[in-house]
Amino acid sequence: MADKIDIKNVAKLASIKLNQEEEDRLKNDLSMIIEHFDALSKMDLPDDKISIHPLGMSLNLAEDIASKSLTHKEALSNAPESKDGQFVVPPSLD
Amino acid sequence: MMNNYKLPISKINQLFKNKELKPSELYAETFERAAITESIIHGHLELFQEENLKKALNSDERYEKGENLGTLDGIPIAIKDNINISGYATTCSSKMLSNYISPYDATVITRLKNEGALFTGKTNLDEFAMGSSTENSAFGPTKNPWDSSRVPGGSSGGSAAVVSAGSAIASLGSDTGGSIRQPASFCGVVGFKPTYGTVSRFGLVAFASSLDQIGPITNHVEDARLIFNSMKGHDPRDATSLIESKAKQPKLKNAKIGIIKELMEDGISEDAKKEVHKVAKLLEAEGHEIIEVSLPLTKMSISIYYLIAPAECSANLSRFDGVRYGNRVPGSTSSEMMELTRANGFGPEVKKRILLGTYALSAGYYDAYYGQALKARAMMKKEFTDIYEDVDYLISPTTPSDPFKFGEKSDNQLEMYMSDLCTIPANLVGMPAISIPTGLSSQGLPLSVQIMSPSNTDNTLLDFSESLESLVAFTEEPVINGVVS
Repeated sequence: MADKIDIKNVAKLASIKLNQEEEDRLKNDLSMIIEHFDALSKMDLPDDKISIHPLGMSLNLAEDIASKSLTHKEALSNAPESKDGQFVVPPSLD
Repeated sequence: MMNNYKLPISKINQLFKNKELKPSELYAETFERAAITESIIHGHLELFQEENLKKALNSDERYEKGENLGTLDGIPIAIKDNINISGYATTCSSKMLSNYISPYDATVITRLKNEGALFTGKTNLDEFAMGSSTENSAFGPTKNPWDSSRVPGGSSGGSAAVVSAGSAIASLGSDTGGSIRQPASFCGVVGFKPTYGTVSRFGLVAFASSLDQIGPITNHVEDARLIFNSMKGHDPRDATSLIESKAKQPKLKNAKIGIIKELMEDGISEDAKKEVHKVAKLLEAEGHEIIEVSLPLTKMSISIYYLIAPAECSANLSRFDGVRYGNRVPGSTSSEMMELTRANGFGPEVKKRILLGTYALSAGYYDAYYGQALKARAMMKKEFTDIYEDVDYLISPTTPSDPFKFGEKSDNQLEMYMSDLCTIPANLVGMPAISIPTGLSSQGLPLSVQIMSPSNTDNTLLDFSESLESLVAFTEEPVINGVVS
């Protein structure tokens, strides 16, 4: 199973840059954990029931009515960079 | 005489009302206690002493006029640093959020403020609540008040340690796989995880949304009940918050209690097993019936949990991308900035769990891992629902062993994960569970038992636990810095 983990691809999907030492260590750690999952993945379980909410409840969504929330200033208060009331990010393309 | 900071909250409230003690005096007492203990324990990441002194004096005035807000008025409570308090840092013990100042209160904070509670500060945790020892905190570990060479448990290790050490009357923790109960057990205090959805998660930094639940850590069961009832209730800002629902309540007298066979086998220490048998005997003598029950899927709970929790964490922690909050590492493009920011901001355990979750959700593996875990979770829920047709409560050790030494399990990830074996089932099926200290091991370290009951029977479980607490009569306290707490 260890060989199956393409750690570079998983890190890319997770948007985390790993150095070589981390890649080696995490590949090893993840392989060990995934091996532990083998018994579960091989269990014969009925397909008709899954549990996402622990009590099986549907979500209680709020009414679609505007209510008090963070101000513009508060929402930007922790931004690493902002300008003219907006979040600033580097360009999306080189 | 018991120090004021170890008294039940109802008793302190009575002293306030009788003008025998002032909230500001108790507040000062807890900070005196912090001055003695914090240099060893490191339970608080931040102390609010000066800022909240004025609030303590306001509380004095309210009692003076007989206008106190509630039983919690003037009670110093510590808050785990993944719960937002407006105007204060919420770091989640992560470099990623070391500069983050919350612009809003979590719903639980609003509700405790409405009751007049005071906050001592923010407490240490494993980074983003991922861990069982606080060794994963970016700001250094918390030490166990009973033996500083041992871990306090985690992830709410700081919250449990400060209550045990007496630098707060009570604290809030969050519990995703045992993060309230396991540290409470290691520190010899009470830890209560309510039914999923009874306490709002709004303002709690999410780890695994279908498992996370806020709850109290206290010296006494009655304190846990008081804080739980002050916080609970529907919150429109949390879509998973329950609207009060009725459930058949378990019996308080002549109850039937099941010892979970699978949590009394290999991997559980003799001390932990003995404690369950000791408590079972005490309960039997009170007229309760004790039987052994089998819940075979509990053996799979570590695997189920370590697929579901990382999968949910990989989605929840995607918000830490250096754009809206948290620290940023510059990059030439947005995607490079995000990859570098997350590489620099997250610690090793958080990275591991994000990658594990990403892998389990990725194309080709979803059905074999995450999909299978969801099916097993449904089966496990059925096992518990069926067993509660026959028994009122379930009992098990809270932890497989007493507190372990620093570094003892950090090189063996699976052994570390196994320390949540007994607590994870309650998160997977949503039921309430409580850890109650019951004695000391041969090494003088705290031991405890865990009691569980069906979902939405929280107050009955607390009533039952209070009667068990009085049967056990655990009154030991740790000695820290040469001073008993």
